[in-house]
Amino acid sequence: MRNLLDFFLKYHNWFLFILLEVISFALLFQFNNYQGSAFFTSSNRVAGSVYEAANQVTGYFYLKSINDDLAQKNVELELQIERLREQLADLTNDTSDIERLKKESLAGYKLYKAKVINNSLTFADNYITLDKGEKDGIRSEMGVVDGNGVVGIVYMTSDHYSIVIPVLNSKSSISCKIKRSDYFGFLKWEGGASQYAVVKDMPRHSLFSLGDTVVTSGHSAVFPSGIPVGTVEDIADSHDGLSYSLKVKLFTDFGKLNDVRVIAKKGQEEQGTLEKRVKRGHK
Amino acid sequence: MINILHRIKWFIGVVLIQVLVLNQMHIYGYATPFFYIYFILKFNSKTSSNELMAWAFALGITIDMFSNTPGMNAAVATSLAFVRTPLLRLVTLRDMDESFLPGIDTLGMSSFFRYVLLTSSFFCTFLLLIDTFSFFDLGKLVLRVLTSTVATIICIFCAESIGRKK
Repeated sequence: MRNLLDFFLKYHNWFLFILLEVISFALLFQFNNYQGSAFFTSSNRVAGSVYEAANQVTGYFYLKSINDDLAQKNVELELQIERLREQLADLTNDTSDIERLKKESLAGYKLYKAKVINNSLTFADNYITLDKGEKDGIRSEMGVVDGNGVVGIVYMTSDHYSIVIPVLNSKSSISCKIKRSDYFGFLKWEGGASQYAVVKDMPRHSLFSLGDTVVTSGHSAVFPSGIPVGTVEDIADSHDGLSYSLKVKLFTDFGKLNDVRVIAKKGQEEQGTLEKRVKRGHK
Repeated sequence: MINILHRIKWFIGVVLIQVLVLNQMHIYGYATPFFYIYFILKFNSKTSSNELMAWAFALGITIDMFSNTPGMNAAVATSLAFVRTPLLRLVTLRDMDESFLPGIDTLGMSSFFRYVLLTSSFFCTFLLLIDTFSFFDLGKLVLRVLTSTVATIICIFCAESIGRKK
């Protein structure tokens, strides 16, 4: 017994060291594996409010370029609407149809405004923190977009903050398709530059060319179909040679994200639980 | 008591500098200075290893909380605290029983430089190695370790020279 005590006393440094390391690695692996407690992340109250305060200052620096983007987008959309309106008027001679179309395209979806208060680009697993949480109606698995295109999917939420897995994360996987031909694959990120991601599992017989626009497919409950993702920049064979993987230049500039919208689909939970039940049935 | 208050003030200071300024900095997409280890490096040479590890763990977990990497910085900061005393002994000729604050004044320029070089390269290698697990790319890892180490050293020397002028 005495020897044992001596042993503990002699190597007390080592014991503390091992204990602390075990705690750290347990936290690390637990967080990587499943949606654990949000306490040790930036969605806890202290970290969230520090970031929020800092963002109120730094947010101003981006306003000019964001304004430019929005103005540009506005002009493009206005031109597009004008052209479509003309076409529609030619075809139907009835202007009330346009109002109906607009209502239909957003029917079934709800948009929440949120601000990005923390963001990273250089790690293998980047995360974004938003200033809205469960009390504002945000739930995990909701889609996040900004004015230019897809941003990511909500991962976990606390009362007032939420964490998003953006496209720039090894865990992210978003179903998307070629806008022109409707062939679909899924969007992954393979590290490196934050402007590029890869669409995998594009069938070998699919039709596309460089410069084609990639949009979300709408197959998952997360995003409605047709939200812009990026343009095809390069084409390569997948490792097994069975499909193509396309290098995509993303529309979203993750370096200056500030205002985003969280998309909630009505009936999303229902589709999710149904799909989970089917998957479990197959196992 | 005043000592502890002073230390907590420092603690909050380095955390804020690290998460609000330096973590947002990615020089050419690679280098991030990990200035916060300065807090660990500046402990008195006679501080017990246990006390140092406890502080380092707390500091690491706080940084983790802000950067959504629970456990990563905590693990690496703790091991840095664990090896700090042997490293300090390695670079200096001074008797370790003596109590001194590691710095340019007490160690001299060349010893202090070796001390910072060893500790920050240890820290950056270990940290970026853990971070890189998902996509392993040796070339990029080496580049990130080298650039981050250099950036960290520069930051620490800036802080050290500002501290000396006072």
